[in-house]
Amino acid sequence: MRLCCWRRALLAAGVAVVLGLPRGAQATAVTVQALDPAGRPLAGAVVAIEVGGAARVAAPGTHFEISQRQRSFEPGLLVVQTGTSVDFPNRDTVRHHVYSFSPAKTFELKLYNGRPSAPVVFDQAGVVVLGCNIHDQMIGTVVVVDTPLFGRTDAAGRIVLDVPAGEHRLRVWHARMREGTDLLAQALKVGATGAVAVTVPLPVAAVP
Amino acid sequence: MSTAKARESAWRLSGLERRIVLPFLLLLLLVQGVSLMLVNGAIGQSATRSIDSDLQTGHRVFTRLLEQRAERLSEAAMLLASDFGFRSAVSSRDVATLSDALENHGRRIGASLVIYTDPAWHPVASTGLSIDRVAALLPVARMASMAGPAGGVSVQGGRLTLIDGRVYQLVAVPVKAPRTVGWVLMGFVLDRSVLQQLAAITDLRGAVLFNGPPTRTLLSTFTQASDALMAPTPEAVLCGRELREADRRWRSCEFALDTGLSDGRTMPPLRLVLAHAVDEALAPFERLQLTLLLLTLVGVVVFAVGSAVMARRLSRPIRGLRQAAERLSRADYDTPVRVPDERLVGDELAQLARAFESTRQAVQHREHTIGRLAYWDTLTELPNRAQFVDVLHRRLQPDAAGVVAPLAVMMLDLDRFKHVNDVLGHRLGDRLLRAVAQRLAAGCRGADMVLARLSGDEFGLLLASHGVEHACTVARALLASLDEPMQLDDHMIDLSASLGIAFAPDHATEPEALLGLVEVAMYAAKRRQLGLLVYDTSMDTRSSASLSLLSELRRAIERQELRLYVQPKVDLKTGRVLGGEALVRWLHPQRGLVPPMQFIPFAEQTGFIRQITVWMLETGVQALQRWQDAGLVMKLSINLSTRDLLDPELTDRVGRLLDRHRVSAARLCLEITESAIMDDPARALQTLQKLHELGVHLSIDDFGTGYSSLAYLKRLPVDELKIDRSFVTNMERDLDDARIVQSTIGLAHNLGLTVVAEGVETDKAWALLARLGCDEGQGYGIGRPMPSEEFLGWVRHWQAPSNEALHVDTDFAQML
Repeated sequence: MRLCCWRRALLAAGVAVVLGLPRGAQATAVTVQALDPAGRPLAGAVVAIEVGGAARVAAPGTHFEISQRQRSFEPGLLVVQTGTSVDFPNRDTVRHHVYSFSPAKTFELKLYNGRPSAPVVFDQAGVVVLGCNIHDQMIGTVVVVDTPLFGRTDAAGRIVLDVPAGEHRLRVWHARMREGTDLLAQALKVGATGAVAVTVPLPVAAVP
Repeated sequence: MSTAKARESAWRLSGLERRIVLPFLLLLLLVQGVSLMLVNGAIGQSATRSIDSDLQTGHRVFTRLLEQRAERLSEAAMLLASDFGFRSAVSSRDVATLSDALENHGRRIGASLVIYTDPAWHPVASTGLSIDRVAALLPVARMASMAGPAGGVSVQGGRLTLIDGRVYQLVAVPVKAPRTVGWVLMGFVLDRSVLQQLAAITDLRGAVLFNGPPTRTLLSTFTQASDALMAPTPEAVLCGRELREADRRWRSCEFALDTGLSDGRTMPPLRLVLAHAVDEALAPFERLQLTLLLLTLVGVVVFAVGSAVMARRLSRPIRGLRQAAERLSRADYDTPVRVPDERLVGDELAQLARAFESTRQAVQHREHTIGRLAYWDTLTELPNRAQFVDVLHRRLQPDAAGVVAPLAVMMLDLDRFKHVNDVLGHRLGDRLLRAVAQRLAAGCRGADMVLARLSGDEFGLLLASHGVEHACTVARALLASLDEPMQLDDHMIDLSASLGIAFAPDHATEPEALLGLVEVAMYAAKRRQLGLLVYDTSMDTRSSASLSLLSELRRAIERQELRLYVQPKVDLKTGRVLGGEALVRWLHPQRGLVPPMQFIPFAEQTGFIRQITVWMLETGVQALQRWQDAGLVMKLSINLSTRDLLDPELTDRVGRLLDRHRVSAARLCLEITESAIMDDPARALQTLQKLHELGVHLSIDDFGTGYSSLAYLKRLPVDELKIDRSFVTNMERDLDDARIVQSTIGLAHNLGLTVVAEGVETDKAWALLARLGCDEGQGYGIGRPMPSEEFLGWVRHWQAPSNEALHVDTDFAQML
């Protein structure tokens, strides 16, 4: 888990470095505050901003990995840009049968050991729920977004993204939202100067 | 017959026994009846409770069967829902494909109805029902999915619902891919097999009813639909309905089957009716009841017999006591009272019996004593007169042939006993009587005789008669036994006795009559100094007509049938008539003149002599008055009997009589026999004394026949002495008698008494008597007794014999 967080942080840093620098000074910091229906800060919410309302596909070769270790997906939740290929290396001794019936990406990796021969390319935005036909308790999620600008809220339910000024679409999602629900969308207007703060309530189920 | 009756009475209970047995028996029956009733009630309740409990259990079993079925179906549905191919089909989002998959997979597990909904329960595809009808089912299905064990798997989905007249059991399972992407809802038709399983497990019949309207049987294990079963149940009574079905009684309970929709408008509820065969449930109880009843009957019988035995054990001694009491009242004191065993009847009855026994003994003892007193003479220890009469009475009873065994009855009377008593005292007299009794008893010993003391010195004797000679021999032997003098202390006492004998049935057949005759004979013997005398009718003063004689005698005085006769008394020296002796004659209207011997002794015995004496005195004094009036100075002698001497009023009566008729007391002479004085010398002396003081002359009659002691005679205030005729008549031939007469005259003269000779029948006797110095004489030779009326005439014509006639045989006179 610590490794996971560390990786995510590294990843976020990477995104910021790759996408932020060429835009230079035009970028504006947008702070998104996620709240649950009770108005409490909601941590772990996926936040993505589709810039100018146009879809942006990841650069070819963009690659991620969801390994299966100790009969669970790792990481359990992965947010990727459309077009990203993801490998599903099996690090357990037992075989796994990974599948998805999600409309965004329906696939099936029949019983295998080690690393499947080809990665799965997520070429359509949406929420893809992963399962294993052998182990019903293994559930993983891949959220595919059409933008490089995305991240997850911290413990205070906040995330800060540098967004160029313009008319955008803000997308949010949380694992505790109802099954089959796509990312929520709302318009987001970002000016040239000044910070933008957006508060987004999410219809999540109460924590059991 | 009699044994049958006896047996019957042995079975019949007496009053006491009934009073003991019946109340307790009734009590027992009551208690048993109440307890049977209570037990029956309890059994009924228990059976009902047991049935109801069985029915409740049946309901739980039914519910459990439904649950098990639902679990099975849920598991099957879950297996189906997790089938990858099914999930693939579901994920295809092609409704046609989905419908096919639903149908295909539903068939695999036998579901009649398969519905797929999205996660939000919106129907997506359905087999068997159109989508819009499915919508109505969904709330049920959702409920079926909601309750379930933790972990999210719903197993308790056995919701029942009614679709097109059939009962469905609905289960709902989620389809996970891998998260819940939808729900599969499966409906299974509920058929009789559930009720059959229930019947196999619990023996209960059941039916599932649609609760109308109209009510409809959906499933049933009853052989035929019962109207009663179908009838709507009153809300309050869910249990306890009695049904009849297929000739058996059933008790039913009803249970609502939860269809998940209490709202009857949209989905009328179902109801489950379970029924238990009452008879089967009651069967073991009925056996118990039968056993109880049997026990009660046996108990009652045992109790009845036992208490009857107990009661009999009590009543038998009581009956015994009653019989004992009856025996006592019948004067049967000889049978002892049986004292019952205390251990059997308790000490009260035993004590009572002992009290009875001691009463019996006391009464017996007393009876014995009374018997002794009544029938035994305490002085001599001989039977007394009463017993003697009893024995006599018994022996005089004719036997079966009507023949009375001949009996000889004797009466023995001691001579001069009164005198002995007076002289020696009563104590010695009693001892003398005892000694006499002993001698007589010794004489009777061994013989078939009954010896009794009849009174004073009078003894009775009874023996079987073997002829007059035999009886006389026995009598003589008895008299001889008294010959030897008795030695009492210093006294030697010479005893003699007189004895009379009479025979039954020759003389009489009645005891008292016989005794009377014997007494007559005895007195005759005594009078004649013959020792013993057999009764002869000539002595009879108490003939068979004695009773009528008495009444006739009474009448004789009233009717003045008695006549006063007078026999003259003359001075033997001068030949002058001095007076006469008054004699009574009875002029009986039928029998003519009755001689005195025929009624005087009888009158003496009966006491009637007193009336005769009164009459004599009355008439005699009247005669004296008449003679006095006629100028004759005469003396009249009147005889007094013993009873007259004992009459204390005699003197006064005589005095009054003389006064009334103005007759001088010296004109009246009262004659008393020796024996009359000897009977009670003290009282006789008292009476004589008074008469003497009155001035009446007193005379000793029949002197010489008795045993008057001269010393005693000396003390009597008498004036004259009459020598008995027996001496006078024999005097002419018997020198001894002549000497007795001579010495008696001398003695009397020495005592200053006048001497009168009786029985002067010849002139020669007169002459001799005159020669011997006798003062007066009377007899046939002088004058026979004549009516008093003729006496005056006789006196006037009286001629004394001449002196020549009075010449006495010189030789004879010489010898004196």
